[in-house]
Amino acid sequence: MIMREREVVIGHRLGLHARAAAKLVELSSKFQASIVLFRADPTNPVEADARSILSILLLSAGYGSKVGVRASGVDEEQAVESICEYLAG
Amino acid sequence: MTNERVIHGVVGSVGFAVGRAVRTFDPLFVSFNLKLRPDRVRKEIDRFRQSVEKSREQLKRMQAELRRASGRESSFLIDAHLLVLEDRLFVDRIIEKIETDSINSEWAIQLVSDDLFQAYDRLDDEYLRERRGDLEDIVRRLLHNLRSTPLPPFKKLPYDAILIGKIIPPSTLFELRAQRVVGLATETGSPLSHTAIMARSLEIPAVMGVAALPEVSSGDLLIVDGDRGVVICSPSEETQAEYKSRDRDGRRIKKLAGASASAPSVTEDGASVSLGANINFSEEVRSAIACGCESIGLYRTEFDFFREGRQPDEESLVADYSLVLKTAKGAPVTFRTIDVGIDQKSWDGINPNLGVRGLRFCLENTHVFKKQLRSLYRASVNGRMRILLPFVSTVDDLDAACEIIMDVRRELDLKRQRYDPRVPVGVMIETPAAAQTCDLMASRVDFFCLGTNDLIQYYLVIDRSDQSVVHLYNPFHPAILRCLYQVYALLGPTGKSVTVCGEMAADPPSAAVLLGLGFTSLSVNLGAYARIKRMIRSVSMKQLRELAGEILKMQKPKEVEDKVRATVYRS
Repeated sequence: MIMREREVVIGHRLGLHARAAAKLVELSSKFQASIVLFRADPTNPVEADARSILSILLLSAGYGSKVGVRASGVDEEQAVESICEYLAG
Repeated sequence: MTNERVIHGVVGSVGFAVGRAVRTFDPLFVSFNLKLRPDRVRKEIDRFRQSVEKSREQLKRMQAELRRASGRESSFLIDAHLLVLEDRLFVDRIIEKIETDSINSEWAIQLVSDDLFQAYDRLDDEYLRERRGDLEDIVRRLLHNLRSTPLPPFKKLPYDAILIGKIIPPSTLFELRAQRVVGLATETGSPLSHTAIMARSLEIPAVMGVAALPEVSSGDLLIVDGDRGVVICSPSEETQAEYKSRDRDGRRIKKLAGASASAPSVTEDGASVSLGANINFSEEVRSAIACGCESIGLYRTEFDFFREGRQPDEESLVADYSLVLKTAKGAPVTFRTIDVGIDQKSWDGINPNLGVRGLRFCLENTHVFKKQLRSLYRASVNGRMRILLPFVSTVDDLDAACEIIMDVRRELDLKRQRYDPRVPVGVMIETPAAAQTCDLMASRVDFFCLGTNDLIQYYLVIDRSDQSVVHLYNPFHPAILRCLYQVYALLGPTGKSVTVCGEMAADPPSAAVLLGLGFTSLSVNLGAYARIKRMIRSVSMKQLRELAGEILKMQKPKEVEDKVRATVYRS
């Protein structure tokens, strides 16, 4: 299966808090590709659906933490691109 | 035969009340759990979707109003709520639960949200952990919208209401006190929870820890019997008649008690006892003084401090505290600085009783602490104020607090603000550490208060809110008697006064023990004032001292209690 993946450091000062998470859901909904955020920490791997505000909040990605973005679908390239750009702040 | 049912709980606040049940909008209440017939599942999913749709419309309306009123900034908060309603992790999982388990929407919502709440509670990030509040809000809204018949608004209650719920926050109870709320029953909580304390202050009968409460629906006829600790559902005619006659007797006794409230609190053999009132809200000062209370022995300021759900500004605090002092008409008022972390934070799973509460919170949040101290000192010129520090556990903490107090006073001096420099500062003895070392603290402060609720909780290792151990809570435990005896012995030589203001002082037998042990200053909630006054006037101090000597030698709580009861209720 084809997919894109990239890592990004969260640049929002409060981390992925309610406002940033809401914006992220809005942004992700513009793409057709399925988009997953994941924490690269091997001892505690967590995945979040980028269109689910609850799962993003539960990812608990604070300021400066490293998060992976994975997308698969027709517009996966643009999706990963713009989401990483948003997360970097 | 009738369908009368008696459900057991524990006494929260004495007295009884007859009324109809009203469920409060508690975040996680569940009105009923049902297994559905397979052919009902489709309809149930439609019912759930309708509630989602209704919630969405309400939120959209709210958002539009907010936008008009305050611009885009705050209306954003609603976005998060709306997104939860579109969230597959939430909505789809609830629908799936309804389908696979064949259960009603309310139950499915609870199951799914409980999972999510647990996930939230595990987060390390405190800010994100707080976000569970958004989810609670949504859950409450959905549950509310699932009701076929909406609750009557509280303001127009057509009947005497008995509030029921998993938890009823103290603030809710307070806000509804002026309505026709005659009683309350909660699934969780104990006699020592703030809700129970509040119920006693307001003299509303309450039964806590009624596990079978979910079976009761709004509108059911109930009797809350706070004397026996039971709730009677659908009482028979006979039972109702029995309670009616008890009501008449009760009023007569109350009248007699009211008459003795103005009599001096002196024992039969002439020993005088100082008896003050505990209050939670500034409004209670007036009735305390009207009852003839000589002092406000404990004003728990956190309820008023956080009443609006946020911190008040300094000017309004100064105005509130000044009014309290003026209303007290020269009677001393002991302001306990905010003790947060008791009932308020119990959602997040960690045990707040062993964490950052009382003075610990204040030392970590000095801006809040300083604001309250500045307000207190600025108000102090309006009457006789005493400042009490809660939950002190080390001399270091006490020194740090005294240093902050000096900072605040220096600040006021610089600004040439008027305040009373002689305001006594005291320590609340409520941790074993403070009980053991109160003599070391004595040179630093002017007075002491003894908080027996927490002291007993920490001494006997009993979580005040844990239903499975609350029956073990016992003021007659020899460990408690020895501890009190020791505190009295340690403080005696220092000459500093001690006022006992826990529940132990409010129950006649245990209050008698306190007198016997040498504590001659008590402070109790208003509901208990008359009965403690009556107890004081009926006992002999000499006899109580002998009693104290005897019970200190006993081995078992039950022996102690029997002996004390036999002495106090000897007639």
